[in-house]
Amino acid sequence: MSDEKRHGSGSVQPGDTSKRVGAEVVRERGGDPEEIREKLIDAIGAEFTTYYYYTNLRCFLAGEEDLKEITEDARLEDRAHFELVMPRVFELGGQLPNDIRDFADRASCPDAHLPDDPTPTNILETLLEAERCAIRTWAEVCDMTRDCDPRTYDMAQRIYNEEVDHEAWFIELLSRERDGEANPAGHFVRGEPGEAPYSTNNRMNDSA
Amino acid sequence: MSHTVELVVPENCGTDVDGQSVEVDVQDGEYVLWAARNAGVWLPADCQQGWCCRCAGYLLSGSLDQSDSRRYYETDRDAELHLLCTAIPEADCRILACQYEAMLDERASHDQPPGRSKR
Repeated sequence: MSDEKRHGSGSVQPGDTSKRVGAEVVRERGGDPEEIREKLIDAIGAEFTTYYYYTNLRCFLAGEEDLKEITEDARLEDRAHFELVMPRVFELGGQLPNDIRDFADRASCPDAHLPDDPTPTNILETLLEAERCAIRTWAEVCDMTRDCDPRTYDMAQRIYNEEVDHEAWFIELLSRERDGEANPAGHFVRGEPGEAPYSTNNRMNDSA
Repeated sequence: MSHTVELVVPENCGTDVDGQSVEVDVQDGEYVLWAARNAGVWLPADCQQGWCCRCAGYLLSGSLDQSDSRRYYETDRDAELHLLCTAIPEADCRILACQYEAMLDERASHDQPPGRSKR
């Protein structure tokens, strides 16, 4: 780089590694990168705890293979949501809580505990309400970032798409199990569990 | 039957009515947050299940039933802090909205989540 010419304008000086243009442009557009970052930690905390709790919920759907596989889809996609957004936390100057208990405490959605009476209907009601919380949360992130942070907005709207899919799946299944009614999702399960067609990003290898 | 809830909205709340007081009618069994949003007062909220605390408000007068909340403590009630997404009025109320930070402080002071992990 020429000593005569600066590489660009703005609040980040050439060569300064203490700041990120990728965060400062958010501020320049009226956003609050620190507030967005903290909300993201809460939101992916919920994705991570959901991944954990769905592991248990799907085990108790033993013998209900269709319910089990769709729960597995949602479980793996929630993990994909955590993986997708986690780097953005660091980009915005943050990090994951050092203690997983703090991470779980911060999760912005309730723990999806196994119901006391773990019937398929009760488990499906738990799954449905967990998905609805996620939809609301990511819709809020979209609202917060739409006009100031295209990178976070892109992630949030892709996750939002999948959470809406998940809600539709569980409405369909709960309607059948609890009410004996057809209430179609209007689409089919993924090609393979956890495909995450909207949110999969930066796979490092086949196990990701 | 309905109750009248006066929402006192601080300057930094991020709504269209910051710095104003707005009265909303909350129908029997209805939650304050939803009544407010239906009336065009878009108060902050995330989970809407009485968990995350984003919708917290300070009860200036009146009474709120908080039994539908997924995570609510007696110490919250002692501090007059409520989760408006799952708060049902039991009387006419006056509420200071947008008290998320105050709720986090209050939870942290009692070593309760999520405040203890965010302070």
